[in-house]
Amino acid sequence: MTTQTTTAVRGGVFAVAALVAAGCASGDSILNAGNDGTRPPTPRTTAAPGAVGPGTTLSLTGRAVPTTIDLTGAAPSPAAATMPLAATTIPLGGPSGPSGFAGAAGSARPLPATAPVGYAPCPVSALDERDPAAGPVRITFWHTMTNVLEESLVALTDAYNASQDRVVVELSNQNGYEQVIDTYFQSGHADRPHLVQMPDYMVQQMADANTVVPIGACIQTENYDISALLPRALLQYQTGGVQWSMPFNVSNPVLYYNRVMFEEAGLDPDDPPLTLEELREFSEALVDSGAATFGWAVDTGIDSGGGWFLEQWFARAGLPYSDNGNGRGARSTEVLFNVPEAVDMLGFVQEMVLDGLAVNVGDNPGAQDVLLKLADPEQPAAMGITTSAGLGTVMTVLDGGLIPGLTSDDIGIGPMPGPTDTPSAIVGGASLYIVRDKGDAESAAAWDYIKYLISAESQSEWAATTGYVPVNVDAVELDPLAATYAADPRFRVAYDQVLAGADDFASVGPVLGPMREIRSVTAQMMAHIYDGTAVEDALAAATEQANLLIIDYANRN
Amino acid sequence: MADAPVAADVPGADRAGARLAVAERLTLAPYERVGGLRAAGRYVLLVVIATVVLLPIYTTVVGAFKPRNRVLHNMLVPGYFTLDTFRDAWTQGNLGRYLLNSLIVATVATAGQLITALFSAYAFAYLDFPARRVMFAVFLATLLVPAEATYVVNRRTVDGLGWLNSYQGLIVPTLATAFGTFLMRQVLLSLPRDLRDAARIDGVGHVGFLRHVAVPLVRPTLGALGLFGFLGTWNAYLWPRLITTDDEMNTVQAGLADLRAQGLDSPNLVMAGTVIAALPIVVILLLFQKQLIRGLTAGAVKG
Amino acid sequence: MLAPSAAVLGAFVVYPMVNAVWLGHQRCDSQGANCRSNGWDQYVDVARSNEFRQALFTTIKFAAITVPIGLALGIALAALADKYLRGIGIFRAIFSSTVATSVAVSALMWYFLLHPSVGVLSNIGWLQELFPVIKTPGLLQDSGTALASVAVSSIWAGLGFTFILITAGLQGIPKELHEAAVVDGAGGTVRFLRITLPLLGPTLIFVVVVLTTRAFQVYGEIDLLTQGGPRPYNSTTTLTYLTYGQSSVIRGNDGLQAAVAVLLFAVLLVLSAAQLLVGGRRVHYG
Repeated sequence: MTTQTTTAVRGGVFAVAALVAAGCASGDSILNAGNDGTRPPTPRTTAAPGAVGPGTTLSLTGRAVPTTIDLTGAAPSPAAATMPLAATTIPLGGPSGPSGFAGAAGSARPLPATAPVGYAPCPVSALDERDPAAGPVRITFWHTMTNVLEESLVALTDAYNASQDRVVVELSNQNGYEQVIDTYFQSGHADRPHLVQMPDYMVQQMADANTVVPIGACIQTENYDISALLPRALLQYQTGGVQWSMPFNVSNPVLYYNRVMFEEAGLDPDDPPLTLEELREFSEALVDSGAATFGWAVDTGIDSGGGWFLEQWFARAGLPYSDNGNGRGARSTEVLFNVPEAVDMLGFVQEMVLDGLAVNVGDNPGAQDVLLKLADPEQPAAMGITTSAGLGTVMTVLDGGLIPGLTSDDIGIGPMPGPTDTPSAIVGGASLYIVRDKGDAESAAAWDYIKYLISAESQSEWAATTGYVPVNVDAVELDPLAATYAADPRFRVAYDQVLAGADDFASVGPVLGPMREIRSVTAQMMAHIYDGTAVEDALAAATEQANLLIIDYANRN
Repeated sequence: MADAPVAADVPGADRAGARLAVAERLTLAPYERVGGLRAAGRYVLLVVIATVVLLPIYTTVVGAFKPRNRVLHNMLVPGYFTLDTFRDAWTQGNLGRYLLNSLIVATVATAGQLITALFSAYAFAYLDFPARRVMFAVFLATLLVPAEATYVVNRRTVDGLGWLNSYQGLIVPTLATAFGTFLMRQVLLSLPRDLRDAARIDGVGHVGFLRHVAVPLVRPTLGALGLFGFLGTWNAYLWPRLITTDDEMNTVQAGLADLRAQGLDSPNLVMAGTVIAALPIVVILLLFQKQLIRGLTAGAVKG
Repeated sequence: MLAPSAAVLGAFVVYPMVNAVWLGHQRCDSQGANCRSNGWDQYVDVARSNEFRQALFTTIKFAAITVPIGLALGIALAALADKYLRGIGIFRAIFSSTVATSVAVSALMWYFLLHPSVGVLSNIGWLQELFPVIKTPGLLQDSGTALASVAVSSIWAGLGFTFILITAGLQGIPKELHEAAVVDGAGGTVRFLRITLPLLGPTLIFVVVVLTTRAFQVYGEIDLLTQGGPRPYNSTTTLTYLTYGQSSVIRGNDGLQAAVAVLLFAVLLVLSAAQLLVGGRRVHYG
């Protein structure tokens, strides 16, 4: 290279090095980059407009959507537009201007040019009005079901396609929740499918993106009878008074335990622990008797012990996880998990880990490590909490002999232990969203397919094969599910758990925009706690980071 | 490995040639002869290291042949030979489709890379145009840009073009590399200048020259470049992960990640998938050993 | 003639970097649209933020482990296999074999070795007693050993490449030099240090450059083995994983991702410049 180039390169290099290295560490999170002004303010004590206090019961009158929603696609009525932007903003950027964020503290940021003007209507009659000579409507369905779950979905879909000639559903396996989220949000609207399956924590983001037809619109337009559907499952996917999606595969955490070890320790294998104190007692018995090395396996996975379970416990204890009615009345502006009850709960679990009664199996990315710890030949744990969605797979795998010395009969299933002695759980899993502006006939076809999937017959098949909780309560009385529940009551545990529990905001679980990232923060916090950090400090740090995420999300969306 | 001279046109030459090679080798200089205890010591060391190097491959291959209920027993001991797992990996794990996708993407991308490299190398080597120095500097600059840094924007570009989950999205961004251009330019420059002049006198155009004169002469380097382009595209992990999620469009590397995420209840399935994924490259490298070594050393030994 | 290359490079290399610089000072919504400026100080803040600095240190640590060890192993194996012994060809083939593995394949192979419950290493009794961390919590789950374990997987994958290169380099050294040295009474070690290593210079520098670049761009192993590292210290979140990883805190945040990507480019620029200055004229592209 010429000397000039070399000098230029050298100069540039040192300038860059100076930029990166010379600045001392700011001790701040990357999420605050570029934000001027102070760090997040102290939590507000006054409720935001439209906020709903804890303890308010959601009423289900068979109509999932308030009647004030205008379904013609025009601007929503004021009462229905209960998704105000965060009233408290950290001023981003420099002086306010048309293209930047507002500079004055406390003022709401200007709406982006593409603000949603109204909820998309549901053209339920488009399918009937369609000319049959035009052939069947073809719709694509992006789903994330794999293995046994995929087989069952394929069977259901093939049956649907064969049973009528108006709609043909084409399945496209996106291989996982992460992937479907990424691809859906990155795609241009023309590349999106007609129907998409999104995990439970995506409600707020899907609502904000306003790329879907709210299921509530379909329900209301057609006057569809939802009395047979699980209320809590429907509630999970409601926010701002709008029913956004239809629950399809419902799961919640259950306790998997080794019956043989229970017997060895002198415990009744039909009476699993229900409260945290019982969990400790049982663990002590198991470890002291030598039946197991550890009583209980915990993990720090995002969708399990690090994130999801925390929401479960808060809901069970009736504590709100975030403000504004757990994000269901209006958008949450902060998380509320830094409370004394949480300190007690998490401190209790921390003690179990530090005392050697519980073992931390790590980040558990595939949701299998807890179960594998149960099957560990050298240092097993006797109990573990994992999603009920794995039940079918676990039984099949054990019966296939994957783990030497362990058969499926040795596994007991109990309700998730928690801070109270009444079992209850919030709805997890995924739900189905109809994508808007993809054609009236297509949206109607997607709605028709959804109705098929949540019918009692389909849900009976689905739940019996996969272990998911049936969304339709009538399915419990139909075979094959009735037979499965009768033959193996273990498959019922998740279902019974979902039925219990109150219907107020706190018990239904939170809705937050950056839910996934907040779960990552709480998982981090749990890892610190299991590592021995003081619970109060960990909670405080997590709260701060989570609030940063919420503010960042609110300012961007 | 040293190539021993073999007279190929003599019948039975191979064996004679091999004998010749052995004879040649046996005449080692005194300091090269390793005898007795030192040889034994070396062998021990070699065996130990080879065992460690082979361990991951060995366990994966052994596990791939075991049925599901045996894979976690005695993982180091082969036994219970079954091919069912491979069949399951192919069908259930969709590996057939993944391999096809990888093959299409890698082949087209490689062909494209060779063509673009040749064209631009020709331009830099033989043509004179106003912006030549600037363009050369720009090409040089792109060598410094790590691919990972471009993916954030490339993903948005590809999405804007509607190329998510498509072959175009996987292929087009990889169609040109500055390294290829420079390598081919070096090789073209080493050709005698009169070749090009003679061709021009004969009325042969740019492409014609490349096709009929240059390519036959630079075939070895082209082969090495092609091999590396193929390997690079075949082995790419991050870019396919970023833009494909549809199970039908996964390449083999991205597909393996999905297989692992879903398949820990059947570790032998994932192992079989890994073996299937690795096989094509093993075969190709065995066939194209010379090109591999030439390509590797092309960048290194040239001073 | 130049058009095809120029077009592709321009659209997918030059344009992304320029656009990334512009994007890096903005924040976008979940769909990557509605990008608004957040001030150029966003770059400075990102560079100074905890997550970025931690990722940078992790990346440097990773390179500091993989490059020297990979190089040393390559040299050692090449020297070991350079003598004529019966069957040396088999050993050479074995040592070269890892060049046939891709990142995903090699990472998965090591996953089956390292997993604390179903991994091979965790089921060997005497090994477990010697190093209990293999089982509890597992080499990939323990904050102290996770990065080293990923590094081992990466070193193993690069071994074949390094071995082939250095072997070729060794065979490029004229025999006469060694013979002359032997005549002068030089022993094996002296010959190695005085003749072999210096003449291997260009090859070794090339190997170092390639290994370092690979180390700074590592992604696949981390995605498959640890997903950014055992919590709570995220010991395997490197710069690339911070940008694209599924567990990253800036996932879905296009503006911040672009900022980190640009800074990654800057870091690699510094690195390349350092290598160029050190390597001098020995490696150039014409």
